[in-house]
Amino acid sequence: MKQRAAILSILALFIITFLPGFVLSQPKGKFEQPVLITSAGQSADVTIAGMLFKRANIQAKAIALAKTTDLDGVKTLVVVAGFSSKGLGAAGISREQELTRVKSLLAAAQEKKLKVVTLHIGGKARRGNQSDDFNKMAAEASSYLLVVKQGDEDQFFSKIAAEKKIPIDLVDKIADAVRPVGNAFAK
Amino acid sequence: MISKRWFRVRMVLFLIVFIIPSFVLAQQYSLGAKGKEAVGTKAMVATAHPLATQAGIEMFQKGGNAIDAAVAAAFAIGVVEPDGSGFGGGGGMLVRLKNGQSVYINYYGQASSKVHEAGFVYGKDNQTARAILIPGTVAGLTTALRQYGTLPLSVVLAPAIRYAEKGFPIDETLSKIILDNTNLLLNHPATASVYLHDGFPRTEGDTIRQPELASTMKAVARLGQVGFYEGPVAKSIVDEVIRSGGMMALDDLSKFRPTITDPLKGSYRGYTVFTAPPPHSGVTVLEALNILENANLQRLGYYATSAESFHLLAETMRRAYADRTSFLADPRFEKVPVRGLISREYAKSRFDDISMTAVIPADYRKTTSGMPSQYDRHDEGNPAIEGSGSKKNDPTVDTLKKSTRTDSPETSHVIGQAMYLEPVGGHTTQISVMDGDGNVVSLTQTLGTFFGSGVTAAGVLLNNGMSNFASTARVNTVQPNKQPRSSIAPSVLLKNGKPFMVVGSPGAARIPATVTTLIVNAVDYGLDAEKTDSAPRFLCQKSDQYLSLESRFSTEAQEGMKKKGHQLQLFGEFDLFFGGAQIILVDSSGTLHGCADPRRGGTAVGY
Repeated sequence: MKQRAAILSILALFIITFLPGFVLSQPKGKFEQPVLITSAGQSADVTIAGMLFKRANIQAKAIALAKTTDLDGVKTLVVVAGFSSKGLGAAGISREQELTRVKSLLAAAQEKKLKVVTLHIGGKARRGNQSDDFNKMAAEASSYLLVVKQGDEDQFFSKIAAEKKIPIDLVDKIADAVRPVGNAFAK
Repeated sequence: MISKRWFRVRMVLFLIVFIIPSFVLAQQYSLGAKGKEAVGTKAMVATAHPLATQAGIEMFQKGGNAIDAAVAAAFAIGVVEPDGSGFGGGGGMLVRLKNGQSVYINYYGQASSKVHEAGFVYGKDNQTARAILIPGTVAGLTTALRQYGTLPLSVVLAPAIRYAEKGFPIDETLSKIILDNTNLLLNHPATASVYLHDGFPRTEGDTIRQPELASTMKAVARLGQVGFYEGPVAKSIVDEVIRSGGMMALDDLSKFRPTITDPLKGSYRGYTVFTAPPPHSGVTVLEALNILENANLQRLGYYATSAESFHLLAETMRRAYADRTSFLADPRFEKVPVRGLISREYAKSRFDDISMTAVIPADYRKTTSGMPSQYDRHDEGNPAIEGSGSKKNDPTVDTLKKSTRTDSPETSHVIGQAMYLEPVGGHTTQISVMDGDGNVVSLTQTLGTFFGSGVTAAGVLLNNGMSNFASTARVNTVQPNKQPRSSIAPSVLLKNGKPFMVVGSPGAARIPATVTTLIVNAVDYGLDAEKTDSAPRFLCQKSDQYLSLESRFSTEAQEGMKKKGHQLQLFGEFDLFFGGAQIILVDSSGTLHGCADPRRGGTAVGY
């Protein structure tokens, strides 16, 4: 009886400790530089994404309102998904205009055969009706998803990843995204 | 045997530690979850954060009254909802005492005596040290406590100090606001050290500690307001403001005093309305209510499902906002035609100007202000009006109509021919409190926009209230020692002389529309506290091209509004943009029903 309890305890400890490591599925292909970071929804998260890349020593240009012409010479497009009414206001555009911009940018990236990576770092704050159109659009067009766990509590991104067979990394905190960014883009 | 005994012991311990206190608490208090109604007969506190609500309740447990509870909650909310208000901001507090006396404590900040040396430029400097007003919160709350409270300052400040020292977990609302304002926070190392970790935003579940703020609070607890407005804390603030490019003098702080006046008084469908006098926006709420009183809203249908009543509300607010833009300012510096603005005759003329079939004028931005000065002679016995204006500046309606400023501190953008107002969120905070004796407090306080100027001194995050002065108009211009116009409108409604509703909201320019809508929901449609607070909200103002509304308005209402000529801009179902109202309604039996806005993370607690 005691032996079984001990085995179960060790097993549980093992699962708790190591399972998150298995869930992290590093992107199969490395992503090439130069990198262009843009927003899908105009949240301030695009600035934070820039900081993540800087911390990971990956050179990347961040243009929140990137146009298709900004893709020239770019090898990987990083889309930071999440809606912000404040950001849209600051940019002076409507939500519909932003949806159109992102859609055409993703189409252009596909046409140019660029790889797309989606970063969702805003957690629950960047989920819900206003954000999820952007989240879905970006995630489905991506070759790799990097998501802060709080934004995937309902497995919104995990389900897209499973359905579209897209590698996904889930991290606890924004700062934890530095390592997978470094791994994904390392030369 | 041993393990069974241990199991029993652990169960008993678990019951003692968790279950029994919960049961006792549930018996004692009615806990309104987010957006849920709380019920009580002896006390009610509604704030935007459970810990601030708890601070208020603690004062009742210590034998305090509604003023003690409101002041404790107001100090605490500045710690646990630090983006919205705090020691470095200001506000207004409407107090209705059990003896029937009503007062308004205006502790909003005012411009420095050296404001012109700072060179504040509207727009460019809106979130910089140049936008900092002399903070009024500490003076206002300590004055309220001294005049109308019963507990010592050290007791009332204790919960806030505790939260600042020990920390509190970031909730979903604060997490989003930190994310949205990362750029501002990054600019100020002292501020970043609180809200960022390792250069990245702290998020939901992380703990925020503010030891330096706790230290400043302890100085105030020990010395009273002198602990803030004089001595090392004051010097720290002045030094940091100047170092950051703003302007403030030690004298500005030491001479700062809140004002205690009569509140503005009006009525709506038989209810007495007390609200915030100029330069705060109670006058706009009263004007809107007076216009609406000319129609039977019930007969027109519920505004969230009927375009008829929604259109009337929208067109009413558009006119009230236009008047606010043209006439509202600090009455110590400019004449405000308050009597005219809240006269029924003037309201009738504004009502007659509304077409029930179409938006006229079709372009919101062409909405003209009325001529309230012509109705200024109709005195309705309002004590707050007396002495509310000096003759330093007596602008005529004609000159005011040339005004081109926008209606809020928010930035407008031109897209082609269309203007798009930058929606910067529902900053500021509301606290509503009532006790069983009939003492009532409605309090709205703010830092300006979220996180104010971003500048922190002595642990105190400083406001950016200068952005509430006008950019180009001839009213509400920047002057030394002057208070800018503010949207805040804490209000109390009485029915047959007894408190019926305690109401107020944050939300910048949305505040007058939100407070008016809340009153309409309770009075015209007879909704309970929860439904009143949850009901869909909108904004219709002169400076916008669009009617902004929550997406829960029915399709019929939305389509009907489009047919009348409104251009709609949809927001989320429950959008922070439209404020975070805390309300208390008193039913005919005297039972208190409180509700915290589901758009924020607050709670109402009563017992």
